[in-house]
Amino acid sequence: MHFEVHYRPAHSLAIAHLQPDESVRAEASAMVSMTSNLSITTDGPVGGRGGLLKSFKRAMLGGETFFTNTFTARGAPGHVTLAPTLSGDMLAIDVRQGEPLYIQGSSYVAAPDSVEIDTRWQGLKGFFSGESLFFLEASGEGQVLVNAFGAIESYDLDGDVIIDTGHLVAFGAGIEYEVTKASRGWIASFLSGEGLVLRMRGRGRVYLQSRNPKEYGTKVGSELPPREG
Amino acid sequence: MRYEILDAPNFGLLKLTLNTDDKVVAESGAMVAMGAAVHVETKMRGGLLAAAKRKLLGGESLFQNTFVARAPAQELYLAPPVEGDLLVRELARGETFFLQSGNYLAHVGDELVLDTKWGGVRSFFGGVGFFMLKIVGPGTLFYGSYGAIHEVPIGAGGYTCDTGHIVGFSDGLEYRVRTFGGFKGLFFSGEGLVCDFTGSGSLFIQTRKSASLAAFLHPFRRVQQRGN
Amino acid sequence: MQYQIEHGPAFAWLRVALDPNERIVAEAGAMVRQSTSLQVETRLNASRSGGVFALIIAFFVALMRRLLGGETMFLNEFSGPQGGEVVLAPKLSGQIVKKTLDGTRTLFVQTGGYLASTSDIDTRLRFGGLRTLFGGEGLMLLQCTGRGDVFVNSYGGVTEVAVDGSFIVDTGHIVAFDGALDFRVRSIGGAKSFLFSGEGLVCEFQGRGTVYVQSRNLKALVGWLSPLLPS
Repeated sequence: MHFEVHYRPAHSLAIAHLQPDESVRAEASAMVSMTSNLSITTDGPVGGRGGLLKSFKRAMLGGETFFTNTFTARGAPGHVTLAPTLSGDMLAIDVRQGEPLYIQGSSYVAAPDSVEIDTRWQGLKGFFSGESLFFLEASGEGQVLVNAFGAIESYDLDGDVIIDTGHLVAFGAGIEYEVTKASRGWIASFLSGEGLVLRMRGRGRVYLQSRNPKEYGTKVGSELPPREG
Repeated sequence: MRYEILDAPNFGLLKLTLNTDDKVVAESGAMVAMGAAVHVETKMRGGLLAAAKRKLLGGESLFQNTFVARAPAQELYLAPPVEGDLLVRELARGETFFLQSGNYLAHVGDELVLDTKWGGVRSFFGGVGFFMLKIVGPGTLFYGSYGAIHEVPIGAGGYTCDTGHIVGFSDGLEYRVRTFGGFKGLFFSGEGLVCDFTGSGSLFIQTRKSASLAAFLHPFRRVQQRGN
Repeated sequence: MQYQIEHGPAFAWLRVALDPNERIVAEAGAMVRQSTSLQVETRLNASRSGGVFALIIAFFVALMRRLLGGETMFLNEFSGPQGGEVVLAPKLSGQIVKKTLDGTRTLFVQTGGYLASTSDIDTRLRFGGLRTLFGGEGLMLLQCTGRGDVFVNSYGGVTEVAVDGSFIVDTGHIVAFDGALDFRVRSIGGAKSFLFSGEGLVCEFQGRGTVYVQSRNLKALVGWLSPLLPS
């Protein structure tokens, strides 16, 4: 099984090529198209942690689905094409034994069975902004497909840096993070538009996206007709 | 008349240069900018009754604009509402192309037919929102995509595509719309539909889908208390 | 100050390297990443030459728009005694363009198109009354004057149109334009067209100058999505 990403960086489409009996697990809403010889099974919440109801509720609040579909090629090679909801790039990142990758919840797209996906709920809420952080741990051997809202920037961190939470896609082991206020005061942090930010420290790889889904959602959402309360 | 496609494939923008009496028909809301000597007429497509019937299908505006240049070398810029690519298709006389109604941008040529009442029109999206236009040439058709356009040659093996990702397909394909076997989405009707294609021809897929964007944005909408 | 515009044309962001005590001013919410050596100060987007009354009005307007989710008129100023790096990104996809003002030129920027500016650029909010403020009709403009750089972002691509005579642009597609141009907001083609054409308002430019046109329009996206939304 291997991933190929086309139409980078703005409107990326990933193709997961499968040999007979090979499988790929993908986030439920990601499927675009597929060859007719694939069988599909639906799995519960990513990583199997948390009851169905809890995930469902989170899905309603966050607008994300945490269900996955497993696609398996039958009788001949096949492929499934995958895309995220928002415009932007996708990247297949190598995961190796002992070198896990921590992925922001809404950035995960797909992985083979050789990569285990575990939920690590951060659950910290911002005072005004209602932001919460939700990370998945990808471990094992293989490639994991992540998406970005915007372009993906990957670089090696050595030291410390402040990152806006909405721009974080993933980071490797060896990096610690601490949630802090953007400005000195709470009110200033709210007015600054930054809310909570991450102070990251250590040595390792960091993946950022060049747009912030929450800023985008707020800007466009505020122009849409209101919904019933 | 000349045309140029700018900013593709990310934000396709159609730039037309019109001479006196050159005419372009475009989806309402598509005008970006134009020279001061371009005249705009707003017409209802196919008359009042057809327009009202189309309103029942939902999701598509009733009105088209006709742009006519009243002087030489007038520029007219047109754009689709979503980010993505913009393509042109020259249709020969009698050549048929099926296009998702939401992807239509503009056309040139008085003889081009946009058929909204053909047999399979309601099947694709559960009868809600967008529908498939049957377009018959001759004429020049401009259409957009949400995201990039990915062309899939359809052959013996068969191919399945989420209906929200269909831009268009050529004549000569057989298709069947059904619900998807796996878990797809909960929020809106018309989600969870896929189309199985067989036969011989080309399928054009867009790499993003409006229903997903709508679902993403829904929690960000302002809440209006009932009774206000 | 050094700057780099990266990840264009689809998702451009602005990387700025500040010298010690050098300042850059940016739209609230634009920060992607910054050195720990930089501090952030939040202030109002009120013209520095306005009096206390202008400041009060600006604060009220800014707060209302912030709470309603519209453009914030709060700005963040980044600086530090050691300098440092800050990366800034717009909210929508598209390009970033730098415009340099030499003290004699004025640049009008539609408020959603403003990303950042250097500290000697003065920005003053110009709007056409309360309805424009909350209804989003007409043009909400930032009048930029002074010496320095203004970083403008577009929704979609940017096309520079050199106007010499007369030119019409849908208001939602305007990023910025030269202050030398005359402009007038009107509805396209008569009253019926306004109701039915699907075009909102247009801006008719007269004279000589450059208009920066973006190839996407937030209002058009909203119109597109509205029928798809549940109540």
